[in-house]
Amino acid sequence: MWWQWPHWLPLAVLVPLGGGVVTPAVARGSARRAWGWAAGVSAATVAVSLALVIRVARGGPFSYAFGGWQPPYGIEFRFDEVSAFAFVVAFLGALAIVFSRQYAPHALAEPRVPYYYTLLLLDIAGLIGFSVTGDLFNMYVFMEIVSLTGYALVAISGERIAEMAAFKYLVLGAVSSLLALFGIGMLYGVTGTLNIADAASRLGAAASTMPVIVAVALLVLGFMVKAALFPLHVWLPDAHAIAPSPVSAVLSGLVVKLGLVGMLRLYGVVYASRAVDLSSLNWLLTWLGAVSIVMGAFFAIFQDDIKMMLAYSTISNIGYIVMGFGLASQYALVGAAVHIFNHALIKSALFLAAGAIIYQTGYRRLSDLRGVGRGMPLTAAALSVGAVSIVGIPPTAGFLCKWYIALGAFEAKRAAFGFALVFGALFIFVYYIRMVNAFYFQEPVHADVTHVGDPPLSMLVPVWILAALCLIMGLAGKVPLTFVAPAVSRLLGPLGG
Amino acid sequence: MIGILWDNFDYAVSVLLFLIGLYCVIAKNNLIKKFMGLNIMETSVFAFIVALGVVKGGSAPIMEPGARPPFINPIPQALILTGIVVAVSTTALALSLIVRVWRQCGTIEADELRELE
Repeated sequence: MWWQWPHWLPLAVLVPLGGGVVTPAVARGSARRAWGWAAGVSAATVAVSLALVIRVARGGPFSYAFGGWQPPYGIEFRFDEVSAFAFVVAFLGALAIVFSRQYAPHALAEPRVPYYYTLLLLDIAGLIGFSVTGDLFNMYVFMEIVSLTGYALVAISGERIAEMAAFKYLVLGAVSSLLALFGIGMLYGVTGTLNIADAASRLGAAASTMPVIVAVALLVLGFMVKAALFPLHVWLPDAHAIAPSPVSAVLSGLVVKLGLVGMLRLYGVVYASRAVDLSSLNWLLTWLGAVSIVMGAFFAIFQDDIKMMLAYSTISNIGYIVMGFGLASQYALVGAAVHIFNHALIKSALFLAAGAIIYQTGYRRLSDLRGVGRGMPLTAAALSVGAVSIVGIPPTAGFLCKWYIALGAFEAKRAAFGFALVFGALFIFVYYIRMVNAFYFQEPVHADVTHVGDPPLSMLVPVWILAALCLIMGLAGKVPLTFVAPAVSRLLGPLGG
Repeated sequence: MIGILWDNFDYAVSVLLFLIGLYCVIAKNNLIKKFMGLNIMETSVFAFIVALGVVKGGSAPIMEPGARPPFINPIPQALILTGIVVAVSTTALALSLIVRVWRQCGTIEADELRELE
């Protein structure tokens, strides 16, 4: 079958990487040509990553050895159920690029548009690479590709404080990358290997556990800054709110997940080797996750800027996922892993819909946007579907993951966290209700808002594809849950259930 | 304690450099100085990883007639070559951002920028 060809795996990274680099040359200064090329490249990436997902669903995890050098000596790409994140990346990246067709020339200076697509495609390449790599050092390299393009994408809008936000993001991002690299170096020093699977088998035989503990701590700290868990989140709101909306969708939906996918990989190594006991780390992560849910929601309530509100909501949702990791039970981890995918869909739907509203009306404050539900009925409806979904009201995508994480809390005999989760959802409900209320029920402040009309199809179609997926993933929620379950069983297997 | 530190002198220095860099990033007010702190941190991590590969009395691992073990581990050096490339691109991006901040706001002192926001 076509999906069995072994070389799809490296191509999933090489297609967006190569396509991204040559974009300015193909475009020759024309924004339209740049868009056509970028859309084509991202469509090809979606097709390639779809082949990989089909293969892993049929036959389980597989790997690719570069140049025929077998791992652990050669460089390995490894595709398992968690790597299916690569498909979500390719898909959302493609939608963000389609959305940019009219948005990018409007939000950026014309000569910058081809470079904008280059950066977006490189970002996608880095994210796909990070989720499929089987090598510790390549994790760092792909993480840096994602981060560097991310900093540049935040700054590209040229708004007044965009460079400041990008610089703040850059400093914290670079510190976290270095912490992770220090950890990777220590793991290499202890095990003498960079291959993740090989490290998992050798870590148990480490002469001393102290360096392993320090390495795990450094890596977790680095990944948690990337994921913007509560006390380490300071870079996120400005960066995500200032960036152009398609970029916000990619940053908030996908780039913060880098830290979480990295955590799953690290847990895979440590659990399999049983080198160190992670129960105190898990205890800390559960608490920080719970605090993150509440604090993210708390800050979001006071935001008037619609994108700022969505940015703080990301912090809450990262809290859910990290709490799921910390609970370390089968249900909680399945819920957390699926929420990595679902939150990406929901948050992209929200950011793209918000971007469409800002594009049409020119306003970004809730107080200015009152009554926009009458002016842009289809977009506001999509935004409301996203809002309902992220609060976690059944039958939407957000409900199922949160339900599973709550079940996991009961399974781990820590029911209090299950209640914290429901309480956090109520908090989140409050500010999304505020948004929906402003859109539909409050008297408009600006008369023009009520008759702007829906945005062009290049924006409306991606927004509605995502909004529809928010509903479909809720109704067909069993599919991702059963898809991820084997990976979670493998992860927790060495712990004896 | 002193003995352990002396035996692992190279590792101890990298940790110290890392902390000095972190201090600069947090405490310095000027954006360029902040970034120099970051460069110090980068160097410390690179030094640490290169030091991992050192073998006492080892020679360069070039397989020619007459080559005699022990050899120095070449993998960390190859890794750090990549790491340096990453560090250079981060530096270039950060400096260009600082230039843009200067043009837009007329200052690169963190506290003055905070007031402007």
